[in-house]
Amino acid sequence: MPFFSSTEEVQKIMEALWYEIREHQEIALPLLQSKLIVQFHYREPEGRLTVDCSDGQNMLIIWGEYDKKPIVEMFMKADVAHQFWLGNVNVPVYLISGRIVAKGPVNRALALLPVVKPAFKIYPNIFEDTLNRPLVSA
Amino acid sequence: MNTFVFQSPTKVCFGEYLSATAFEVAKDMGAERPLIITDKFLVASGILEPLLNGVRDGGVEPIIFSDVPPDSDVESVNRAAQFGLEQACDAIIAVGGGSVMDTAKAANICLSLGGDLLDYQGLNNIEDPLRPLVAIPTTAGTGSEVSFVAMIKDSAEHRKLVFGSRHLAPNVAILDPVLLISLPPKLTAATGLDALTHGLEALVATVTNSAVSDALAIESARLIFEYLPRATSNGDDMEARSATLVASTMAGIAFSNSGVGIIHALAHATGARFNTHHGITNAVYLPHGMRFNLEYSNAIYGRAARALGFSSSMDDNEASEALVKAVERLLKEVGLPTELKQLGVPEMNEEELQEWVNLVVEDPAIIFNPREASVEDIIGIYKRAY
Repeated sequence: MPFFSSTEEVQKIMEALWYEIREHQEIALPLLQSKLIVQFHYREPEGRLTVDCSDGQNMLIIWGEYDKKPIVEMFMKADVAHQFWLGNVNVPVYLISGRIVAKGPVNRALALLPVVKPAFKIYPNIFEDTLNRPLVSA
Repeated sequence: MNTFVFQSPTKVCFGEYLSATAFEVAKDMGAERPLIITDKFLVASGILEPLLNGVRDGGVEPIIFSDVPPDSDVESVNRAAQFGLEQACDAIIAVGGGSVMDTAKAANICLSLGGDLLDYQGLNNIEDPLRPLVAIPTTAGTGSEVSFVAMIKDSAEHRKLVFGSRHLAPNVAILDPVLLISLPPKLTAATGLDALTHGLEALVATVTNSAVSDALAIESARLIFEYLPRATSNGDDMEARSATLVASTMAGIAFSNSGVGIIHALAHATGARFNTHHGITNAVYLPHGMRFNLEYSNAIYGRAARALGFSSSMDDNEASEALVKAVERLLKEVGLPTELKQLGVPEMNEEELQEWVNLVVEDPAIIFNPREASVEDIIGIYKRAY
């Protein structure tokens, strides 16, 4: 059974997480320096989030359709995204087994993995605050 | 035991003069007009004749694309694919080293699915099977004849682009040791060390390896340690050529399932920046990368050292150090350089060094390394290897 009951739940969580990431300079700055536009495609439930750092100054966080072409696209179940932000996803294993699909210059995105790790500590609180339910029962 | 995934979709056939059967093999998969992708040197050498005669015997005039440079790039791939489309080719027979293999894999994407090659960059994002691909290696090193990956240079950006999908794996690999006889000693040694690096890095990719990939990696290393000096000193030694060729394919299957690590990340970045030979660059970094990983990998390296007969000590630190020393001895025995400056790598200033480190950090191989490497760690390995 999926962690998220609806697309709205995925949207709430992922938007809240990225808004928070944007406020943390140690995470946001390297992402902005990368000037990447990364689009996350979620399924079960469906959803799409774009993080646009292309101007190097402002991180735009857009849910749904976005008119700019992403540089890197990542496709995964929403559950995989949830487990990733909890720090439970072994990215090499998930890539080799095809549970995460990456399109574009994936090396540029993978290089940012260590950068986003501090967000693993933020995520549980965001999950509980946003969905108003404890993580353990999710 | 860790959860693991192991797959090897490529049928492997080994035998002297087996390359002559390539057309028959392609035909068995429904092909009528295979595109032969190779390089000019191989065409000029005449070693493709048995294969080409096999095509002619099948009633088809060979369709050959031989304009593949030593380090293939996007332009070469596009030219090969365009040529294949113009000639209405329905399969590919790739004969050559790593550059030819990777060109063939990438060209097969465009030949089969159409569109722009760059749209298929990434991992696992090719969803449909491609045209039949028969891979015939003429070096014993890259393992590309069984791997799921193609690395293609973006000449403008000085970067390697990554294409990874199980659909990229050749359908059939034909291992014909006769094709390796004219390979010069230096290239024999360099490609052999590339294969050894594949095996030794696959072994310590601790989150993705398995007992299955470990077995392939260790046996592959045994064959290389035993036979590479012979293949290097006497190119006509068919037993040594056969053993190193099979070892290379075994290591290829191992790393396709486990990944490689920091040594490949360093070699890719150095090759992209300074055009150094991939196998030789791997060879230079190999002992340094192994020592960097020892703290995290001494148990598996110790086990390998005992299995390979380099140590009888049950102390993993002692045994793994014996393995690194065996690699250093092998490098000397086959006459390969041991320092980056011998490869013509210039000293880098701070800014150049930082740019180069960024290439290392961005290399996908590094995520499989058992020990996380900081910028300082990477510079440290580079300086020790210099």
